[in-house]
Amino acid sequence: MAGKTIVVTSGKGGVGKTTTVANIGTMLAKKKYNVCMIDADIGLRNLDVVMGLENRIVYNLIDVIEGNCRKAQAMIRDRKLTNLCMIPAAQTREKNAINPEQMKNLCQELAEEFDFVFIDCPAGIEQGFKNAVAGAQTAIVVTTPEVSAIRDADRVIGLLEAGLLRDIHLIINRLNQRMVKKGDMMSTADILSLLAVPLLGVVPESEEVVISTNRGVPLVHQKGSKAGRAFSNIASRLNGEDVPIEEDKSDGFFAKVKRFMQS
Amino acid sequence: MKSDTPLPIQIKATRDRFILAPDAKASFAEIIRYLEKRLQESKDFFYHSEMCLDLSNRPLATDQIQQLQKMLAERAGVKLIEIKIGEDLVYSLDRGHERPRAAAVVSQKQDCAPMIVRSTCRSGTLVESPADCVVLGDVNPGAEVVAVKDIIIFGSLRGVAHAGATGDRLARIWALNMEPSQLRIADLVALPPRGGKPIPKRFEVAEIRDNMIQVITL
Repeated sequence: MAGKTIVVTSGKGGVGKTTTVANIGTMLAKKKYNVCMIDADIGLRNLDVVMGLENRIVYNLIDVIEGNCRKAQAMIRDRKLTNLCMIPAAQTREKNAINPEQMKNLCQELAEEFDFVFIDCPAGIEQGFKNAVAGAQTAIVVTTPEVSAIRDADRVIGLLEAGLLRDIHLIINRLNQRMVKKGDMMSTADILSLLAVPLLGVVPESEEVVISTNRGVPLVHQKGSKAGRAFSNIASRLNGEDVPIEEDKSDGFFAKVKRFMQS
Repeated sequence: MKSDTPLPIQIKATRDRFILAPDAKASFAEIIRYLEKRLQESKDFFYHSEMCLDLSNRPLATDQIQQLQKMLAERAGVKLIEIKIGEDLVYSLDRGHERPRAAAVVSQKQDCAPMIVRSTCRSGTLVESPADCVVLGDVNPGAEVVAVKDIIIFGSLRGVAHAGATGDRLARIWALNMEPSQLRIADLVALPPRGGKPIPKRFEVAEIRDNMIQVITL
């Protein structure tokens, strides 16, 4: 059976596409699936940095597409998980060096070999976006609770739907429950009423994310991290498991004590 | 757009075309400059439209008319179809083009079926309807719905809606939930009040009253 090809996109930059790909990909690999991640952000690659694999790059996506190397040569295996690998983007080329048709073929070939193929989409809606989306059956749209990010997500969902990609899911990244409660940030319900696509998960704002990115170790390897747990739940839901969306549990000191006493 | 000095050239919209009426005192250079500016600003709006030149107030020389015609065609693909010289003296530039009488045009437009959009209009969508427009879904911020007649939205209006786009001041905008970024009816533009507003239990209608766009609950 062919695997799933999933593109992670957002429109706006800096909302956490790469972090999402790295974490969900790693989590699914931990669940013993064969996972391949493609960095489609040609010219601005950084999935390799987040995965901590920067120094192992020899061949890249464009080399594969142009036939300078075999697919297996460009795939970089993860440091911990042998069933996880990534194809890095070319840093010295531009986005129009490949076309959607080539990308589609590559994704199809990879889907034969792997259970999950993730495509890390560049920001924007130009050529790079079209390339990244071409081979995907499913799309995950990442947004943050900011008006500008939501506006761009809305545009991207419109473009995906116009491209006849109907299986679209939403991840809300960097939600700060405290600010939502004070009414300073849009809540999950507000965002969903506007975007009207099924929610795959909510990732709370956390410093751990920055730290793990800088270290090059995906957050899901770390136990006890809230954001990491959110990502692993997202991976489970993507895998078809029925995991309820996390409720907010940070409701003050007394509630925590109460819960502690109960458990 | 009211000021002490009149505009060098007025652009009026009628049911099926635009009328360009140069001011009696404006110089030709001024007219051209202003027109270029307007075309630049609203290129999409005027794109491939048909215009009439009304010279009853200010005559232009033949070469000036030709220059104007060329500029219109180059800048926005606008076709100059008629030149009105006096009250009853109209010069048709477009020979193959048969102009039905005004009344016939109106009845034909009334027969035009409404355009029905069966999905949510997301950011970046532009819907243009030659008659009424019905949206079965939301109109999100960044989306634009333009209709020659009424706009009816079975959902939330959060983007821009322009009813009566060719100048029909009786056009209205209906929405189950009215939180637009901007409302336009004919030549008027309205912005919603800043800050939250009470949520009405029923749908709302925007229409022109006393020369202003007003949103009311029926």
